[in-house]
Amino acid sequence: MAADRGSGWRGLRVAILILALWEVAGRFDLVAGGALPSVGEILVRLWQDRADYPLHVWATLYASAAGFVLGNLAGVAAGVVFALSTTALRIFRGVNIAIFALPPIAIAPILVLTLPGMAPRVALAALGVYFVTMTATVVGISQADSRAADLVRAYGGSRRDVLRLVEFRGALPVILAGLRIAAPNAVLGAILAEFGGGGRWGLGTYLLGSLGRGEPDRLWGIGVIATLIAGLSYAAFALLSRRFLGSARAVTLNTAVPAAQPDRGPLARRIVMSLATVALPFFLWWVFIKATGVPDLIAKTPAAVVDYLFFSPAAGAAQERLWAAMAQTLPITFLGMVAGLSFAFILAILSRLAPRAIEAFMPVALVTQTMPLVALTPLLVLILGRGTSLTLWVTISVTFFPAFVTLAQGIALVPRSAEELPRVYGASRWTEMRMVTIPASLPYLFAATRLTVPRALLGVMIAEWLATGRGLGNLLNQSRGYLDYAMIWTVAAVSVGLAVLFYQAVVMVERRVLGRLGMTTAE
Amino acid sequence: MAAPDGIVLEGVSKTFRGRGKVVEALRDVSLACPSGSFTAIIGPSGCGKSTVMRIALGLETADSGSVRIAGEAPMEAARAGITGVAFQDAALLPWRSVRRNVEVPLEVLRRRPSDHAAEVAAMIGLVGLGGFENSLPGELSGGMRQRVAIARALVTHPQVLFMDEPFGALDQILRRQMNVELQRIWAETGSTALLVTHGIDEAVFLADRVVVMHAAPGRVVEVIDVPFERPRRPPLFSDPAFHRVCDHIAEVLHGG
Ligand SMILES: Nc1ncnc2c1ncn2[C@@H]1O[C@H](COP(=O)(O)OP(=O)(O)OP(=O)(O)O)[C@@H](O)[C@H]1O
Ligand SMILES: [Mg+2]
Repeated sequence: MAADRGSGWRGLRVAILILALWEVAGRFDLVAGGALPSVGEILVRLWQDRADYPLHVWATLYASAAGFVLGNLAGVAAGVVFALSTTALRIFRGVNIAIFALPPIAIAPILVLTLPGMAPRVALAALGVYFVTMTATVVGISQADSRAADLVRAYGGSRRDVLRLVEFRGALPVILAGLRIAAPNAVLGAILAEFGGGGRWGLGTYLLGSLGRGEPDRLWGIGVIATLIAGLSYAAFALLSRRFLGSARAVTLNTAVPAAQPDRGPLARRIVMSLATVALPFFLWWVFIKATGVPDLIAKTPAAVVDYLFFSPAAGAAQERLWAAMAQTLPITFLGMVAGLSFAFILAILSRLAPRAIEAFMPVALVTQTMPLVALTPLLVLILGRGTSLTLWVTISVTFFPAFVTLAQGIALVPRSAEELPRVYGASRWTEMRMVTIPASLPYLFAATRLTVPRALLGVMIAEWLATGRGLGNLLNQSRGYLDYAMIWTVAAVSVGLAVLFYQAVVMVERRVLGRLGMTTAE
Repeated sequence: MAAPDGIVLEGVSKTFRGRGKVVEALRDVSLACPSGSFTAIIGPSGCGKSTVMRIALGLETADSGSVRIAGEAPMEAARAGITGVAFQDAALLPWRSVRRNVEVPLEVLRRRPSDHAAEVAAMIGLVGLGGFENSLPGELSGGMRQRVAIARALVTHPQVLFMDEPFGALDQILRRQMNVELQRIWAETGSTALLVTHGIDEAVFLADRVVVMHAAPGRVVEVIDVPFERPRRPPLFSDPAFHRVCDHIAEVLHGG
């Protein structure tokens, strides 16, 4: 494979070039008055700090790995159940969206308040993994070749046979692609939970401890290590995924009309289902509090939050602070999301038009994008200061990565025969793109949008928490400092609620557009 | 004339509704294929041929009318391993080798593929794919994929065999060879066969009766008996009597 080696070399060359530029910029303090240390300086500092790292790395690694395993087990199991039972999928929709949409930073303080020891970290890592894997499983299974499923049914195969012979194996590439997003997510989750406090060890704890001391080289060192962990976990699953994708690609376009299945049951049943869907997350919230047995003073039930926000003597002031924070957070969230998404879409499309150029760029993009956000933010603070542009960049970088992977994956799934058809008629690469690749990747664009909604909010809140001192993130951090438990729970609930709302809006647009085009949602 | 163990469709109607469009795919279609007979369905594209087959296989339910396969409901017959099927589209599992694709019906029917290794190999040889047992579908040509689908349809020795344009992607020579082979296998197994095809000559060569369908709404317009002796041999293709039957079917097909 001469072409492979060529692009590998080009990637290496680009990397070396960037490292060289970095070294020069660092040596001569060209960026933000020395905020960017040179590669050499970072390495020297890493060496000096070498005694600190093992325990911190181990703590983060342990929590991420445990969360990764638990989250994946839960995700695959739930995915299979949801693929088999539309009723279960419907009832759990609210829970799933909430789990997906919750900005981990918003519930990190809550988990630290309610769970002992390492549990908050494992839980947050698992939550970051669960949704990705669950969705990938459902998507993979529902996208399975309906003709092959017909064949199994034609021989009297049961639903389980179809699942076993066709759907699950067909879903594997999608699940594996999900895992490579999930793996860095687990690391991110673990580090974010360390943020919420508790425990002496962990890269997040180390980072927070070093943040105030104004030592760029150490911050960068921690960032490099965190990125390395996340990047390696990504690479491992990318490799696995590539091995599977080669043979599992459908050879022709599946033309079967997808079975749309809106609930056609009686009205009463539908109403009960909708209510259950909305009520279940709140019910689980309540169960969680009762199960952990944390005192009412610290753990607030949904009712307590409503009471605080509307009926308590402090309600007026609380509302005012909340509104002010939201007015600061929401516009920038939207802007960052749109920018990150556009960037991802353009790059994914280009990766098909000019595969070689992108291949050379890919390693660089991957390294920067797998970087756990928490590790990235202090570095961006050093470079960009504590203003709005910081928030924007953090948000773009956290939305771009998952969106790009989703889109690239979707575009890679476009059947060969469909793409070759326009080419046969002498179409240019661009025409081919316009006629086949872009329309075929539309479901994935929406899927990517859904994926980035909560991440955008997360990015903004992290930047606010760590640096800018504005908005919901700051309100959360402040309340933590003042032990204002009711406000902590309120901000968490409101952030999750906002993300869910955003998400639902995207889903509605998606339904309408895809419905008109006769495509299915990549659920 | 409807023997209890053939294929019997009575007054089957089917309408598809979707995205603001209503397609009457089948209107009052009746079809009786006696046990051991060979029936071909021919008709313009979109007239509902595949739909007839999918209903007979239990993949689609008819709005009205009844369907019996070997005296049983379609799904029952399928579960009993009575039916075999080759779709218009090969529908191979892209991650399975040729051999493992041929084994799919056995697995679904809970038969141990290792007990049937000889048959699997024989079927693969029969369709001329010996040596490709371990290839993946992506590495085969369109015609080769379709031949895998045919081998897969035959591997269970079905009593009732459904084929939806199984030879569509084959060249003329191979197609004739496969026609002869199919006739031999069908005669050997004594199965009831229903073949959907676009080739008039293929229909006449293979079938006892040719069912001609028209579109919008999909319906049966005529059933033509084909009287030739069996086994039929390739020279029949150039027999004048053969051509007369073909011409008659072509006329009916074009609304004459
Ligand atoms: N699942 C479906 N949903 C909506 N309409 C359908 C569906 N399946 C088939 N149809 C419609 O029913 C009609 C008959 O389709 P069918 O596939 O049976 O045609 P056919 O005779 O097999 O055509 P061809 O020779 O091209 O394969 C067509 O008009 C088609 O559009
Ligand atoms: Mg058809």
